[in-house]
Amino acid sequence: MESVKTVGKKKKKDYNRMGYLFVLPFVIVFLVFSVYPVLRTLYLSFMSYKGFGDPTPIGFKNYARVIQDKFFWRALWNTVKIWGVNIVLQLGLAFLLTIVFSDIKYKMKGLGVFRTVYYLPNIIAATSVAFLFKTLLDWKYGSVNNLLMSLGIIAKGAQINWLGDPKIAPYVVSVINTWMWFGNSFIVLMAGVQGISKDYYEAAAIDGANRWKTFGKITLPLLRPIMIYVSITSLIGGLQMFDIPYLINDKGSAGNPSGSLQTVVMYLYKFGFEGGTKKQVGYASAIAYSLFVIVLIVSVIQFKVMNKKED
Amino acid sequence: MKMKKLLAWSLAGAMVATMIPAAGVNAKAEDSLVIWTLTNDLIQFAERYEEETGVKCDVEVTQPADYPTKVQAAVLAGEVEPDIIVGEPKMLDSYYEAGLLADLDELGASEYDGQIVDYVWEKGKDMDGVQRAISWQITPAGIYYRRDIAQEVFGTDDPAEIGQKFADYPTILETAETLKQAGYKIFASDGEMNVFSNKEAWVVDDTLNVSQARLDYMDLCVQLFQGGYTAYATQWTAPWYQAMSGEIPVYDKDTNLWDDAEREKAEENATETTQVFAYGLPAWGVLTMRDNYKETEGKWGICSGPSDGFDGGTYIGINTNSKKKELAWDFVKYCTLNDDTLNWWIDASKGDTVSKLSVIEAHKDDENATYGGEKLYQFWLEQAEKIDLSIVTPYDQAIGDAWGEAITKVKTELMDKEEAISEFYDEIEATYPEINVER
Repeated sequence: MESVKTVGKKKKKDYNRMGYLFVLPFVIVFLVFSVYPVLRTLYLSFMSYKGFGDPTPIGFKNYARVIQDKFFWRALWNTVKIWGVNIVLQLGLAFLLTIVFSDIKYKMKGLGVFRTVYYLPNIIAATSVAFLFKTLLDWKYGSVNNLLMSLGIIAKGAQINWLGDPKIAPYVVSVINTWMWFGNSFIVLMAGVQGISKDYYEAAAIDGANRWKTFGKITLPLLRPIMIYVSITSLIGGLQMFDIPYLINDKGSAGNPSGSLQTVVMYLYKFGFEGGTKKQVGYASAIAYSLFVIVLIVSVIQFKVMNKKED
Repeated sequence: MKMKKLLAWSLAGAMVATMIPAAGVNAKAEDSLVIWTLTNDLIQFAERYEEETGVKCDVEVTQPADYPTKVQAAVLAGEVEPDIIVGEPKMLDSYYEAGLLADLDELGASEYDGQIVDYVWEKGKDMDGVQRAISWQITPAGIYYRRDIAQEVFGTDDPAEIGQKFADYPTILETAETLKQAGYKIFASDGEMNVFSNKEAWVVDDTLNVSQARLDYMDLCVQLFQGGYTAYATQWTAPWYQAMSGEIPVYDKDTNLWDDAEREKAEENATETTQVFAYGLPAWGVLTMRDNYKETEGKWGICSGPSDGFDGGTYIGINTNSKKKELAWDFVKYCTLNDDTLNWWIDASKGDTVSKLSVIEAHKDDENATYGGEKLYQFWLEQAEKIDLSIVTPYDQAIGDAWGEAITKVKTELMDKEEAISEFYDEIEATYPEINVER
């Protein structure tokens, strides 16, 4: 009896250790590709480093430079502008669709199909999306301008320079991002709605609450945690925007026209990854951490504000 | 039980194994070289080398804009391949600083001291005077012009007389007007005189230096563009090359020729065609011409520009980590110090100017049939005497690009000159804090 017990224990122990073995690949990858770069970037942000040789410590100089750099602030403003318009459209659209699809009385059919269709733009690689829109929005021969002209909305020869006018291009990118991401927000919001107990709706129906009341008093408040999640993740993602604005303009990290598409991460990229042998990796790292601090502050404020509403 | 355990271990092992980069996959035959280059020239050299020596050459061409980053990443990561790397003068200083190139003196380069045009030999030395790269070519600039059009419009195709038509910027604008009246465009793009505008360094004593020549060049570009004197074919775009072979469609000035789809549509819709009279290119322009002139072969001449100028030049060096330095050195010698190769190259390139003194001497009186029997070597050598590579700085690419941006803003009337220059200053200041900007 005794011996059987020990064998059993031993077995258990073995399996426990086996568990470590199974998480080992992840831990190694995580340490090498996440933890190390994060710490290394922090270290480099206090250094002057060209990408080769030894980094030389320069204290907070890189950060002082970030604060004085008007192009950094321009990039931040561009990012906020593009993201701001994008998030309003994206969440607005996702919300509208959530209202439509979550209606108790009028059951929309084919939720699965719509969910897939709305999510599709998100599966397409950003490169393809950028080139797709570049072609569609080409101001001389693009389909969009041609359509507008043949419908008589704009005059012949007065094509809108969607991607070449610094006053228009940032918002075009907002719309493209909206198109890519609204399906994603919609799915998350729908999941939130489906998690709300049906009992509330039934009780409300018995009490004679109408559609808007039900939505305003039940769906919306109970959806708040999900909304906080959606808006914070999209804020973090939005401030890190890079792919579409980088790919859709001809000058890469310069963010043409006139730098109106240069986001913070593109500005970081310019110093950290471009410039051949004139790289300024230390400065790029300082930009990265400045962005991190900004994201952190804004997220905390946003979280506080959204949570406060509850009481 | 054992089977389960075995399975668990092998699964875990497989997971770990996939994370270890497969080592040794790239092992190749003993006698082979990996060559990374930024122009097509070395492909031809490598093919011939392979034929003659049996050494397998694996040549990879990368766009100049991406090349330094790529090379630097590979060499600094300790990669033993490529064996051969190249660079333009503006890249070399940073290569030296980063320690990318092997010491050629150790391999025997010092023996060849004095056999190569001085400025080329000197540029190949790092700050401590160690030879690290050698170029087979010299790169003075000139104006390539169509003799048939010159004959028709000006009644002469003599290089000396046509050179007078490009004597200075006001004269160039007059010439442009005459050609416009005759239905031609003086240049494909407005950037053709760029090679003649770098008379002073962009950065002098850590201070940004916008010389009068740069400002004059900006004015010229604006006037050429706004006056409709060019074919609006941006340098290095497909129509720019195409214009070397004769007729090209007339593009609107706002067509983005880098965008292939837009360009093709513009070509379909174009109602007129035009021909381009001249290009401003360094001596290696003969290669660009050779690959593009097609039916206009033999119709070109070369004359001097508004001032002396130069641009580019490919310097060959060896990866400091290369395991085949001896073989690589043999290749470098083959391309730059071997009379036989250079004689072949002059012919194959239709007149590239080499840097080895003995070969230059032998070809001094050659008449180049492709350029109407001009004694090109004499011409280029005269121009080359004025080359001063000390005005090349590692900032040239970035500052030159920003200056080009500023010119574009002015010529397309997005900004006035003052505003564009001020923004240019801002950008240099923000990008390179170590450079003083005096406004």
